[in-house]
Amino acid sequence: MEDGNEEREKLTLVARKPCFGLPTACPTCLPVYVYLRFAHLPLKLEFNLIHPDSDQIPFVESGNYVAYNNERGGVIWSLKEDGIVDLDSDVRGIPEWVSTKAMVESWLADAVMYELWVGSDGKSAYKIYYSDLPWPIGKILYLKQVRAVKQLLGITSENAERREEEIYRRSTSAYGALSSRLGEESFFFENRPTSLDAVVLGHVLFTLHALPETSLLRSKLLDHTNLVKFAESHKAEYIDANSSASVPESDPSTSASRRGPSQWSSKPKSKPKREKTEEEKKFRRRTKYFLVTQLVAVLVFLSLLGGSNDAEVELEDDDDALNYD
Amino acid sequence: MAVPTESHPHLGQPENPNLSDPSPEPDDLDDFEAEIDEEDNDESEEDDEESEPITPEAQMRVDRVSMESLFKRLSTERVPVRVHDVLIKGNTKTKDFVIEAEVEALLKNATTVQQLLQAAGVANARLQQLDIFDSVNITLDAGPPELPGTANVVVEVSEAKNPLTGDVGIFSKPEARSWSLEGSLKLKNLFGYGDLWDGSVAYGWGQASEVSAGVSVPKFKALATPLTARISLLSQDWLKFSSYKEKALGLSLGLLSIGNHDLSYNLSWRTLTDPSQMASHSVRRQLGHGLLSALKYTFKIDRRNSPLRPTRGYAFLSTTHISGLVPDNRSLRFIRQEFDLRYAVPLGFYHAALNFGISGGFIFPWGRGFLNTPSYLPERFFLGGNSSPVCTLRGPTSILGFKARGLGPAEPRRQERGNSNNESSDASTGMDFIGGDLAATAFADLSFDLPLRVFREAGIHGHAFACTGSLTKLTENAHRELSFQKLRESFRCSAGFGIIVPTKLFRMEVNYCYILKQHEHDQGKTGVQFSFSSPL
Repeated sequence: MEDGNEEREKLTLVARKPCFGLPTACPTCLPVYVYLRFAHLPLKLEFNLIHPDSDQIPFVESGNYVAYNNERGGVIWSLKEDGIVDLDSDVRGIPEWVSTKAMVESWLADAVMYELWVGSDGKSAYKIYYSDLPWPIGKILYLKQVRAVKQLLGITSENAERREEEIYRRSTSAYGALSSRLGEESFFFENRPTSLDAVVLGHVLFTLHALPETSLLRSKLLDHTNLVKFAESHKAEYIDANSSASVPESDPSTSASRRGPSQWSSKPKSKPKREKTEEEKKFRRRTKYFLVTQLVAVLVFLSLLGGSNDAEVELEDDDDALNYD
Repeated sequence: MAVPTESHPHLGQPENPNLSDPSPEPDDLDDFEAEIDEEDNDESEEDDEESEPITPEAQMRVDRVSMESLFKRLSTERVPVRVHDVLIKGNTKTKDFVIEAEVEALLKNATTVQQLLQAAGVANARLQQLDIFDSVNITLDAGPPELPGTANVVVEVSEAKNPLTGDVGIFSKPEARSWSLEGSLKLKNLFGYGDLWDGSVAYGWGQASEVSAGVSVPKFKALATPLTARISLLSQDWLKFSSYKEKALGLSLGLLSIGNHDLSYNLSWRTLTDPSQMASHSVRRQLGHGLLSALKYTFKIDRRNSPLRPTRGYAFLSTTHISGLVPDNRSLRFIRQEFDLRYAVPLGFYHAALNFGISGGFIFPWGRGFLNTPSYLPERFFLGGNSSPVCTLRGPTSILGFKARGLGPAEPRRQERGNSNNESSDASTGMDFIGGDLAATAFADLSFDLPLRVFREAGIHGHAFACTGSLTKLTENAHRELSFQKLRESFRCSAGFGIIVPTKLFRMEVNYCYILKQHEHDQGKTGVQFSFSSPL
């Protein structure tokens, strides 16, 4: 029990499961992990595999102290308020830093959320969040989450294409702005890591490793090589070096997609998709009309047939009655 | 008439090998006449008698004499008869086989008139128990004239006119852990199979609420046991005690219910959440979703003379719960066993009785890495609460004097914000009671009538009791540190006396409890307490 208590006193980050070669594959948990790594704090990483729809995760705990992500603006802010770690003390006053952080936390976060739940086939999301839950529960929670994300992003069947365009447009301009802000530096501001670097690094690593190769967002990111280099070099320095024991072996199914930075390739979906949906809609409409016509024809046939049958039966009965008499 | 000498011990008729004794025993005759009264329109015509043209008074006298001799014969001799046919009338919706399944075997097995009358009484009771008929009449009639010594039995049922009934009461459902106030709507015999559909809403004492719907079929085709199925959505709030809320969406099937044995299957999706965000370490680790697929086997014997105030007899209940029966190793896997033993000894004066009881249980996970995984939090044992151990047969759950979930392993909750520098933060940290894997309780209770007659007539009586209980953790290698000494030290005790007021729905007690031994974080309070229990 003594050992147990000591274990509990250590700073522990509880996050979602690791996969795709990342220490934690959830886009909200990864920036927190990176931030704590930037701060060089001795960190224990634990995983919660059964609560994918919780907004409390990620949380940091140490003994009886807990900083949840759904309180006071997030884990990073809570850690600063409670005096545990603060990397932003110098840059918080710089207006550009604040607006860049706001842009990343709104536009790019929305883009990742869209791409993970709506824009792709859902395999990545399933692997990260639901692979440790029994199948019926995982399936139902996944469908619930897709609906919730659509509601959050304001996507309906009428404006789906418009919203998609808007989200991609914003992410393109965000990437452009980040790329020009970063240039050839190692960090965005003051040549040292801040929470902005942690958030951007988390986003870039997630987009590169966890999203499928057909992802449009991923292909847009690959156009900015300095962002990709920024991500890979910091990953090697802060993440792979420190946590080589905790990052699990990637399973064979993802090893094919995990190539070096010089070999990133992208196969984006593009315009042909939109035309296809037009054709698909026409086809579906035609099928509906066809089925309805068929159904009506069958009903008419049955009613006519039923009527004529009754008439025949009555005639037969009359014949029998006559016979008896 | 040839007299068969077979013996039928279950009939309750006294063994009478010497059947030539013509004098009837008065008890037999009374029972016999009572049975006759039970059946409506009971006509026993044995033989056709030619009627001669005589005066009405003489006719009545002859009839009376023949009836009396018939009764004498029926009560002293075994009059053999064979049931030729069982006719069922009056069922417009109910399928024939449903009624036949309840009564046919019983009636056709009767070989004498006495047995037949008794069987008819039992069959009547069984059909009433199906709860789908307004009234049931069983008539015995003479068989076809070409077959002497036979009888026909006519079962006439009158189906319930209004299939929908409503009910409000205090019950206990197998899924809910405590008793609850419940309102339900019942739909009877919708498809003619004797099926009972019901939907109910229940609010429970342990901050539980449940919405459920179920169906029960007494005998479906060739199956020998009744089938029940129930879907329920249950939500329980344990925030005050253990900082979590539990929601369960479940389907339970009653598979077997024969005699003392009961087997059921339960499939449910459980979710634990913590909206208060104050949970302790162990509870935080268990928040989330889980799939429970479990078989529950219950064996119950209750030979006490009364469930509310037992003064004589014994009871034994054993419940085995095996979860994790799907091949998916991500579902919850554990084995849970609990048992109860109760014994009541009458003392002869003041209607007093001594009640003893002992209950125990354990839960342990199984599957890969089971030695290091914790047991599932809502399925652990929690001691405390305000229900009396005398009536409730629900495993080790109650020790009088302690609050609900008020004893056992406890962990400090999350530290209050802003108190990290405050030295006095210790007082404001609450404790979460996280339950234990091994539980045992025992009690001794002396109940007696109060001297005033008005209390005696109302059933109000007094009692003095002593309870003890222990709750320890076994999982996550805690069993290695468990020694006999530690186990002995983990027992808490309380004693006291009080007054019991039994009402129609539940049993209320007003007790003064004195805590003899408790541990540091336990919530036992010496003083006057109210306690409510239901015998279900």
